Formats: sequence, C-alpha cells, structure tokens
Amino acid sequence: MTNPPIPDALDTYTLNMGPQHPSTHGVLRMRLTLRGEEIVVAEPVIGYSHRAHEKMAENRTYAQFLPNTSRQDYLSGVIYNFAWVEAVEKMAGITVPERALVARVILAEFNRIASHLLWIGAFLLDLGAATPFLYAWDDREAILFLLESVTGSRLTYCTGRFGGLSKDLDADFPRRAREVIAKLKGRWGEFARLIEENVIFVNRTKGIGVMSRDVCLSYGVTGPTLRGSGVAYDVRKAEPYGAYPRFEFDVVTRAEGDVFARYMVRALEMRQSVRIIEQALEQLPDGPILNPDSIGVRKRLKLPVGTQYYAVESARGHYGILIVSEGGAEPYRAKFRTPSYPNLAVLSEVMPGHMVADAVAVLGSVDLVMPEVDR
Amino acid sequence: MSAPAELARAVEQLGATVPAPFEHPFAGAVEVRWIAPGRLPDACRAARDAGYFFESLTCVDRLAGQGAFELIYTFNRFESSASSRVAWRVWSPAGESVPTVSTVYGAADWNEREVWELYGVRFAGHPNLTWLLLPEGTEWRPLLKSFTAPPASIYDDSQSVVPDDQPAHS
Repeated sequence: MTNPPIPDALDTYTLNMGPQHPSTHGVLRMRLTLRGEEIVVAEPVIGYSHRAHEKMAENRTYAQFLPNTSRQDYLSGVIYNFAWVEAVEKMAGITVPERALVARVILAEFNRIASHLLWIGAFLLDLGAATPFLYAWDDREAILFLLESVTGSRLTYCTGRFGGLSKDLDADFPRRAREVIAKLKGRWGEFARLIEENVIFVNRTKGIGVMSRDVCLSYGVTGPTLRGSGVAYDVRKAEPYGAYPRFEFDVVTRAEGDVFARYMVRALEMRQSVRIIEQALEQLPDGPILNPDSIGVRKRLKLPVGTQYYAVESARGHYGILIVSEGGAEPYRAKFRTPSYPNLAVLSEVMPGHMVADAVAVLGSVDLVMPEVDR
Repeated sequence: MSAPAELARAVEQLGATVPAPFEHPFAGAVEVRWIAPGRLPDACRAARDAGYFFESLTCVDRLAGQGAFELIYTFNRFESSASSRVAWRVWSPAGESVPTVSTVYGAADWNEREVWELYGVRFAGHPNLTWLLLPEGTEWRPLLKSFTAPPASIYDDSQSVVPDDQPAHS
C-alpha cells in the first residue's frame, strides 16, 4: 500500500524471481520491479500449490481429513495434525488421557526443532554457506528417525487420533529421546561459532529487512518472525493448550526486527523446545494413550452445531483452525489460518528499498512453506 | 490497548452492531458481535486503534437456506496473557458488496481477494480485487456449495486437441 508508484517504465524493469528459483523453497514467484539493483516494488505471486484443502475438508469426515493436515505445512506436520485433532476434540468434548497430552507436547516440540534446523540449513545455503546445512541435516535426521519410530512417518505425520494418539511411546523412547537431545546440545556451540560469529553472515543479515511492530500488527505477522521484532507473542503462552501450561519455558524475543534477529530467535527457540521436552520426559505419566470411550465414535463423529476457533503455535507462528459445524459428520466449513500467509504478504512492505541481492536474505528469513500459504 | 469487553462496548457505542440474523453459537472468541456491513470499516478501525492485529477472515456460504454469506473477521492482541480474540460477524445478502478494510489492515488485502475468488463476494473499494490462489481468469467459485467441478477440458491435457500426425503419447 505504501509502495511508491512506478515512476517511469523506461527507468525500471521487472524481474521474476521464481516460480522455479532455488531460494523460494517451493513454488513462489516474487515479481520485483527494480531500478538498477534497488527494489522499487515487490509483489509475491502465490497459488502455484493450491490444492483446495478447505474444499476437501467439506467433503470428508473429520477422521478422513486427518491425512490432509500434515500436507499443509509439511515441516510442522505433527503440530498441524494435533491442531486438527484438538480442535475437533474441543468441539466434541472428547477428553484426552494425561499420557497422550504429554506425548503430544514431546512430539510437537521435536517437530518444531526439526523444522527450525531445516530452516537454518536451507537459509544459510541461500546465503552461500554450505557447511551449516550438513550439520543441521545431520541433527534433523536424528529427530526424524526418532519420530519415525513412534509415528511411522518421516514427513507427513498422521499419528493424532480423537482422544489420544494412534501408537504409544515405547518403553525405550525416553532413552532414545535423551540421546537425540544430547546430540542437539553438542551442536549449539558449533552453530554459534560457525554462523553467529561468521562475519559474512552477520554483514548480510544485520540491519536488513527490518519489520516494525506496527507493520506486523497491520499484517498479522506471528511466530519467530514477529518475535524477532521484539513482540513476545506465542500462542503456547497467550492461549495455553494441551499440556503446555505445566512446563516452564521462555518466549525468545529480539528487539532489532532484522534478518539476524529472526535467525537468533529460531536458534534460541530450539533450546526452549529442548527445555520443554526434558521436563515432559520427566513427567511422562503412565496410562492409556487413547481414550477408550472415543474409539467407537471416531469414524462417524458428528459435532454439535456451532463455530469453533482453535489456535496453536506452529514452527512458523499462529496456526488457526475455524470449524463451522451444522451437525453433520463433515465440517460445513473449515478455514485454516496459516502463519506463512501474512508473513509473506508483509514482504511487499518490507522489501522495497533493499538491493536485489538482499531479497534472498529477506525472503528466506520469514521461513516460508508455500503449500501452507496456498493450502 | 483495551480489553475485548471494552472494544466490544466501543463498537456498540459507534452504532455499528446489529441484531443476530440467526442463532449459531460461536466458541473460541471472548467477544462476538454482528456488525452492519456498511459500518465494518469503523468496527475494524476501532480494533486497529485498540492494538488488535488482523487474525483471519472466513466466508461461510449460507445461500441455500438463508440467501446470504456470513463473513467472520477475527482479531487478537499480541500482549494478551489470556485469550483475547474478538470476532466481527457480517451478514452479506447475495449480490451485495461489502466495504473493504484493506485501508485499515494490510492483511485484509489478500484475505479479501481470496474470499472474492472463492465465493464471488465483492469488496467495494479494494485496490486490486484479482485472483490470488486460482489461475487468472478463472470464472468458477470453487468454495460455493453449488459448485461441482470445473469443465474437465480446462487443465486435462488428454482432452486437448492433438494434430493427427503427432501421437498423443509415444
């Protein structure tokens, strides 16, 4: 909206970044209007991976929609899967056993770390640093292996069930989880030396892509991108859900609002996730993993008439689900408020004024997952 | 910064609220109000001034029974320690346009484009009401309940005309 009008067609030219560009991480097109090397107008063009998840939801029962959830944000699959399950549980009034509540937190936080690790690797690769990618991938692999042992999947998790989880954590799980945590902790110092003290990285990211609090408020920016602008908004704290209220953790913020701040927030947030997992492993109660009363109703579950808004904190921010039920076995309407959608829309405000080389840094710093934007 | 109850009262004092056109429970928001379509920008301006961010816009097709669309705008605060979501619901009879709030919230720009392309609801005053997710020029409204499927020929390569001298697949 505050984009300056294009002054003269002879003075500027248009550069299409994408839809097949290595740094757009999925099919996104940035239509950049440039004057020399300077960005005058930046317009994201989306929709390349629109699969109409909201329409599909209207034609499936609540249980049949479960596999769709992790295909919206394929890097926060566990979190998205549980969000749908919890939204339906809330409307249907299904209670969840304690063990399942805590297990969900453990799996979701491991998923969050895996997502942040992938981002760190891919983002540094965008900026020309190949080594961190290999380290991050090694750590992420350990987490995927652990999650696979519980859920059976590496990416498109579908382990949530109305009233619990499909599979219990085995007796050996806490030991393996602690092994993974030890591996993660061993890398933190290396990441700090390799990335945060790297003069090329620092010079390319400090003071670049600054977002003010007011711009974030106008666009509804959430997640680490918002917390990099000094706003301590985290759905896990603002609207505590599941077992989160019983665990201690801090909301990481940085005041600067630039690309470097967003990196630091994600790097430090992984440590908070580890902190949550360690407490959860200590407190993991025994008992059933699935509410035995919910097993019979889950296939033809009918929800009472009404509208429900339910939100969770995904690896990218505020993920909201709005379900409108007319009493049937399928949602009358399901809306998915995905965090990358506003986080991408805001770039048309942030990018103008930067050099074209910084476009990659700014675009990478908001951690986009395009299937989640397009749904 | 004001609490949800204060914001709802302020919007009522503006005279922007209307009685509910039908009964439908809404859970997950602290304050829910029905807003007159014409006063929607005022109600959103009040939310913006009170420090709320634009959270979501949802359109619900209620054409079959009630001949109207239901629009649900939700707003939230960054500072809250408890949930402070407010929801403005708008009842928009078929064929009527709703004033845009993209001048109040940047987020409304894309959200309104999405509702327009998927449902056909027009947002008066929107600076760029064009396709966002669907291909440019799409004429159908896929999220309408009356929608079945687009013509198969549009994207199905097997339906395209192949010259006789070229085999379709080798």
